[in-house]
Amino acid sequence: MMHLTGFDLFAWAGGFIGHVVLLFVLLVRGRARSFPFFTAYIAEQILSTSVAYFIFYHDPFRVYQTSFWGFEGLEEILQLCVFYEIALHVFRPTGVWAQDVKKTLLSLVAVSVVVDALLTWLAQPETPRVIQRIVLRSNLFAALLMSELLVGMVVLSATVGLPWKTHVSRIAHGVGIYSIVSVAVFITDNFIGIHRGDHTGREIERFRYLVYLVCEVYWIVMLWAEAPAPRELPAAMKMQIYTLNRQVENDLRRIRTWRQH
Amino acid sequence: MRNLYFVLLAVLLLVALTATLIRFYLRHRRSAETSWQDLVHRLVWIDRDAIATIALDAVTEEGELRPHGDCFALDSGVIWNLLGGLEGLEVIERNCQVLVELAAYLQRFYPEALVVAEQLRLNAREIEWHVSRLKGAAQTGNLEASFANYAQRAVVIYYMMTRHVLTLYDQAQFPGLAELQQAI
Repeated sequence: MMHLTGFDLFAWAGGFIGHVVLLFVLLVRGRARSFPFFTAYIAEQILSTSVAYFIFYHDPFRVYQTSFWGFEGLEEILQLCVFYEIALHVFRPTGVWAQDVKKTLLSLVAVSVVVDALLTWLAQPETPRVIQRIVLRSNLFAALLMSELLVGMVVLSATVGLPWKTHVSRIAHGVGIYSIVSVAVFITDNFIGIHRGDHTGREIERFRYLVYLVCEVYWIVMLWAEAPAPRELPAAMKMQIYTLNRQVENDLRRIRTWRQH
Repeated sequence: MRNLYFVLLAVLLLVALTATLIRFYLRHRRSAETSWQDLVHRLVWIDRDAIATIALDAVTEEGELRPHGDCFALDSGVIWNLLGGLEGLEVIERNCQVLVELAAYLQRFYPEALVVAEQLRLNAREIEWHVSRLKGAAQTGNLEASFANYAQRAVVIYYMMTRHVLTLYDQAQFPGLAELQQAI
């Protein structure tokens, strides 16, 4: 059985407690309704940590590895769902996709996948076992993809002038910083590889865990706090604003279709 | 060798991602701290009468297209002179961004203004598109043929945007309406 150090146990317990508190915040403050995928991601983290801990101490190491792989796959899928959820909040300000971003967003995903596939193919970490090489490269691919998508989304929203609401921007801050740090760690991991008796990779991984713990605390604090309260508009004014919206929409449609001379 | 290429490209990408994220984060923070006064001061002066003349050559005060035979009397050269050429259109393009930010500013306090802010944002994108078409035409020597059509559309959209932003502020009974009317 693999030996767990004091730091491993601290990171494991800290991460678990952080996720439980964060899930509590998401449910009690009603954020789970707005961010179901992020909530599912946090719930999956709690489940995977609990199951992994139980299996680690009660089952053969091979069972632990299998469960680890299963949860890793699920985690990657949920991370992409969280990205999609952030995109929904930013690029569908009125409940429908902003007309001018959909194609750019799809291009961003396609270009990111190609660039990441190329970099992952270039990486050739030296490892004693094939499975370890696959782990290192797939981790790199996932981290690169998340960070590129997040940064691309930030640039696109600023370019087209779409604002970010308070809580979605807080979630994105955490995901963005953690993804960038993960990319740095996984580039190093893939460069130095894994060698018997060399614990450099493990030391670097600790830094990533610590950053994640900080992100957890940030999410807990930020998602507990309420967004600035809006002022209430009288019903008549709301009606006027919706009429104005229709006017602006119609103006643009008319101008687009006019034929000169 | 392959590992070296990997590290070089990966580190370059990492630096680019980090720098972009920091740059846009700082830009977002600056924008969030922008006061209403700052926004109004960012509006660049442009001849309002000239804008109205060009716009009302195509549409009525209410934004309806003028009936056939009563519109598009201004030719390309007159529109060019009234606007001050491509520079005038660039001013319109920059002012549009400020108009969108003014609508978004109101949205911070009144989320209901979101629908109008989003529609104004799309209008501004349309103007950007027209201006970029004209810049492209200028590079290929076809500016004269395209100017009247694209420039007048951009001006009409801008003219209607200014009116809608004023209406929005009026409806929300925002205290700075008079100042905004002067700046626009």
